[in-house]
Amino acid sequence: MTGPVPSGIDEIGLQPGSHVCAFYRGDSDRDRLLTGYLGAGLAAGDKCICIVDSAGTAERLGTLPGARGEPGPFGGQLDIHLPESTYLAGGEFTTADMLTFWTESLVKAEIEGYSFCRLVGEMTWALRDAPGVEHLVGYESELNRVTASSPVVVLCLYDLDRFGGEVVVNVVKTHPQVLIQGILVENPYYLAPDEFLRSVLPDRPTR
Amino acid sequence: MTTKQTALDEFAPMIPRPVPHQQADSPQQAADANLRERLAEFRALLVILLLMTESVSEDQILELAASSAPGLGPARIEGYGFSDGQWRTAGPAASGVSISDITRQLAALGHSGGKVDLPGRRWAWAYPLRSVTGLLGHLVASSHLEPSAEQRFLIQVIAQQTGVAVSNARLHARERATAAELAATNAALAQTVASLQRSMDIHDRLTRVAVSGEGQPGIAKALHELTGMPVAIEDRYGNLAAWAGPGRPDPYPKESFAKREHLLRRLMRARKPIQDGERLVMLASPRPELLGILALIDPGRTADTADLVALEHGATVLSMELARLRGIADTELRLRRDLVHDLLAGTDDESALARAEALDYDLRRPHRVVIVEGKGRTRAHDALLSAVRRALRLARQDGLCETWSGNVAVVTAGQADWEQLRRAMASDLGGQCHIGVGGPSARPSELPRSLREAGLALRLQKTLLPGSSACEYPRLGIFRMLAAIPDLTDVDAFVREWLGSLLDYDARRKAELVHTLTQYLEHGGNYDATAAELSVHKSTLKYRLQRIRDLTGLELNDPDVHFNLQLATRAWGTLQALRDES
Repeated sequence: MTGPVPSGIDEIGLQPGSHVCAFYRGDSDRDRLLTGYLGAGLAAGDKCICIVDSAGTAERLGTLPGARGEPGPFGGQLDIHLPESTYLAGGEFTTADMLTFWTESLVKAEIEGYSFCRLVGEMTWALRDAPGVEHLVGYESELNRVTASSPVVVLCLYDLDRFGGEVVVNVVKTHPQVLIQGILVENPYYLAPDEFLRSVLPDRPTR
Repeated sequence: MTTKQTALDEFAPMIPRPVPHQQADSPQQAADANLRERLAEFRALLVILLLMTESVSEDQILELAASSAPGLGPARIEGYGFSDGQWRTAGPAASGVSISDITRQLAALGHSGGKVDLPGRRWAWAYPLRSVTGLLGHLVASSHLEPSAEQRFLIQVIAQQTGVAVSNARLHARERATAAELAATNAALAQTVASLQRSMDIHDRLTRVAVSGEGQPGIAKALHELTGMPVAIEDRYGNLAAWAGPGRPDPYPKESFAKREHLLRRLMRARKPIQDGERLVMLASPRPELLGILALIDPGRTADTADLVALEHGATVLSMELARLRGIADTELRLRRDLVHDLLAGTDDESALARAEALDYDLRRPHRVVIVEGKGRTRAHDALLSAVRRALRLARQDGLCETWSGNVAVVTAGQADWEQLRRAMASDLGGQCHIGVGGPSARPSELPRSLREAGLALRLQKTLLPGSSACEYPRLGIFRMLAAIPDLTDVDAFVREWLGSLLDYDARRKAELVHTLTQYLEHGGNYDATAAELSVHKSTLKYRLQRIRDLTGLELNDPDVHFNLQLATRAWGTLQALRDES
């Protein structure tokens, strides 16, 4: 697959390998993005893996058409996780563990027979006072390595009502594309992982 | 499907692409990396500016501007000083910074930005917050390090865009306030219009009822339709006059007299609807003595202002209806009274028949006049008139009744048992009464004759006849014959011949010898019955009879004497009655 795939959001197409930072305001806007994005993936037969920040949201997504079924190319399309079993598994956030999670999920999907994956993460978990949260922006930068050469699109959801400007600035710096107010802003100047880590964390190794 | 892009994307090919997994070893590579970092910061700034433009909250804009600065270099935003002298700190206040000192420095800067001194800061600068309407204030940034020119430029851009965004937000807030005010005004206007429309509907509906002659049932029905509640109309005593809507009680409850009077007094004082148990009631009273009550049955107490307006307007229409009904009744009563008086005084047949027909009364049948006279307390005209009407109604006798010379005159076509009727009246009044019945008159113009006969019968009954039975002129026998004699001179001479000495004695001594003799003869010489009729002791009667014998020199037991004396006393009574009449 080389052409753009439908994002399911405001008729925007995404190139395979896209790592998009999507800004929204409030829960209803978030749900609009989630259902559109995942609904398009389920309709297209993509493997959909999402991490949401509440059991209520997970339950609602479980009712999407095509969300339930047996594992395989035509079933078990949608995997829904909570931060406790992903970003914060083991009680803290580490970039390495999270990148491993995504890599293994992609391999597993390929084994199950899916040719394309659609990932999404609701990032409000990072507002918790959890160990390792300070590595979030570095992780976002490193994630570009995983997505760049894979048949996958990734959507990172940031609530503008809850994240401050500094996070927004750094997140934009590390994402090749930013989705805001229904506009996909291409960011050809995003900082590659090494560049970003060198600029903001010159003395601190990644975890 | 499209991929939305921004104008900056046109320049993307001119910019060095990221080189992952490589170190910037050469000076050229280092310069490229630096340029890319600046451009990445510009891109981030572009997003921040988009977010500011989108926001309509001044607080949100200022917070976004302040929180974004650390991502763009070493500088932080200390706060914002506005033209009205207000200072707003961004984030945690820096130690040792005096707000009054900052605002004083900002005031000195005027419309331009410039350097400011902040304790413990190596660099501090105030950037103007400009808008199309002028200067809003300043954004004050500071740093422990001297920022580069590129970093200062980024802060300046943030300040410029913050000014524009805040200006837009304030404009938007004013528009929202204006829109909200307009919406509130419109809502109030719409409510007023709706209220007026409802009032007009109420007025229109009830006015139609008032002019259409639908009466009290029509008023109740209209009010029920307007309010959706059951409606009752009651007279002053609590009797149901009309009902509209479901749930009509059967039998209709009637409260005690005292409770009813209490409610009426409350209503008279309030002069507006009041709650009476589960009912909302309003008084309709066009005249002090004329009362009606209009009630909305509202157990849930859900009546709103419009319902109250409908109730008050309904009470006004009911007042008009009560006044109209009373006016009709008064007019009919007056017409009847006038007709009776004219019939008794004498009128032509044509006029009398036409007026009776207008009152829906059939006067073409033979009628007679009946005079009813009360005694003692039964002489009260209104009570006597009411008693006569009730007695006639109970006896199923129609007729026209009216007071006449202190008595009640009845013009009737009935053939009643007059004595039974008299007893019913006496019983109703709780006293005594006399009835004189005139002879039948074929035409209305003959009714004065029947009246004279009734009057004569009444007087004869009172003066000559025993007891107080109803006295019918056609059955008076010798009295009727005597009364019919045109010239009474011979009759008078006959009376003088037989009773002259007694009449003179009575006149001289104010005695009752003629009356005593009359009753003695009418009772066939029975002492006991005569004494009872005269209400005197038997010895008194015997004394009077002896006196009569002495004065006349006549033997009462002589049949011839007895006959002539009885004829003479009856003639005397007739003459008396005729003289009373004249």
